[in-house]
Amino acid sequence: MIKWILIIILIVVIMLIAYSVSEQIRDKYDFFNNLKQFLNQFKINVAFRQEKINEFLQKSNSKKQFKVFVDEYLNFLKTGELCLEKIKVLEEDDKQILQDIVKNIGKYDAKNEISQMESFLLTVDEKLAKANEDKNKLCPMIIKLSLLFAIGLAILLI
Amino acid sequence: MLKDYLDRDIYNLITKTFSFSDITEIRMRANENLIIIVKNKKYYLKDDNGEFVKVNRNVIENFVRRASENSIYAFNDNIVNGFITLPKGIRVGLCGNIVTDGDKIVTVKDFQSVNIRIPHVIRNCSLPAFDYLVNDDVKNTLIISPPGSGKTTFIRDFIYQLYTHNISKNVLIADERNEICSVINGEPNIDLGGFCDIYTNCTKKFAFKNGIRSMRPDVIVTDEIDLEKDLDSIVEAMNCGVNVIATIHAKDINQLKKKPNFDKILDEKFFSRFVVLSSDEGPGTLTNIYDEKLNCIYCRCV
Repeated sequence: MIKWILIIILIVVIMLIAYSVSEQIRDKYDFFNNLKQFLNQFKINVAFRQEKINEFLQKSNSKKQFKVFVDEYLNFLKTGELCLEKIKVLEEDDKQILQDIVKNIGKYDAKNEISQMESFLLTVDEKLAKANEDKNKLCPMIIKLSLLFAIGLAILLI
Repeated sequence: MLKDYLDRDIYNLITKTFSFSDITEIRMRANENLIIIVKNKKYYLKDDNGEFVKVNRNVIENFVRRASENSIYAFNDNIVNGFITLPKGIRVGLCGNIVTDGDKIVTVKDFQSVNIRIPHVIRNCSLPAFDYLVNDDVKNTLIISPPGSGKTTFIRDFIYQLYTHNISKNVLIADERNEICSVINGEPNIDLGGFCDIYTNCTKKFAFKNGIRSMRPDVIVTDEIDLEKDLDSIVEAMNCGVNVIATIHAKDINQLKKKPNFDKILDEKFFSRFVVLSSDEGPGTLTNIYDEKLNCIYCRCV
């Protein structure tokens, strides 16, 4: 009886790990999706309302990892220091893009600011496409492989 | 009040030596000594070792970045006109590399110097002139002084005096550079009494034309007029029965006479009072008041 319970626990643990890994891949996709929306909305803001960057950020309805980014951005505006270590789903080159965005937004007149947003959007679109591909390919694969691995392990233990 | 904008070390040094209530100007030029103007006297800021504080370009760039709240695009309309207005009416004049697209100024970059002008509300500074400018009605008045001699301070107080003397006139302020009232997020930072309607950051032409139509003013107050560009709007307002109080840059009445269109002003008697201010005893010193025929009706005893 205890053996069966242990096997079930093992399968559940393996599946939870697999789920959390795939969730990170999904979070990365969500992050870039939010970043794209943010840049698009900011572009509209610059063209029409021209709210200052801190007012715009405070109004943004962000969630999860993107909220961490928004909080860090607001902190950067106060202190001049940017710490992106807390954004766990991103790799170093992704963080470099964020640094470029943060350090360059708000430095130009409206026309050049919009051109800059468009240039950032191209980069973010590439990242988003890659994250989407990872999400569609890797997430189901991780779940399936983990399930197979868990079942295989269970058979061996039985 | 400049704590959020100035370099921290510079701010600390300034507060050690001076009181912000006395400072009228802070001048920062790239690679030059920082200058503080207190009561018309120039001082160089010194550090703890007694050395003059030199300003580098980064300090200026960071100051502009903070003054524009990291949002140059939101301030660009002002920046192309060479200034940013901070809360409490602090005016930051900017010099740098002008970026143009054909004839149009697109923006200013690579800021080389900034001039921070701190306004001071001097209550009752317009009182010596008040009775000359108001009897039953507010007279059309041109206030004359060189830059930094208290024109804006004078008109601010004059507007306030209209309120305290209970002269119930609708005052429309055409504040082209947001200097008179310093309106931030729709709220004036300077108390001008309860009779004012304010247009900020718009041309005088727009403010005069639309203000008369929509706000029914009795008096329009405006700063730093250009007799070539703005005279038509002013005359149109006067012809609509609205009195105008305006300021203009000139050292004295003789210098004013050399400006274009002044003959027309005099011939047509557009203004019935000319008030001359100077910095002789500090900014806003009332020197002369002239009537519409340029007869001196007030002269400061020296």
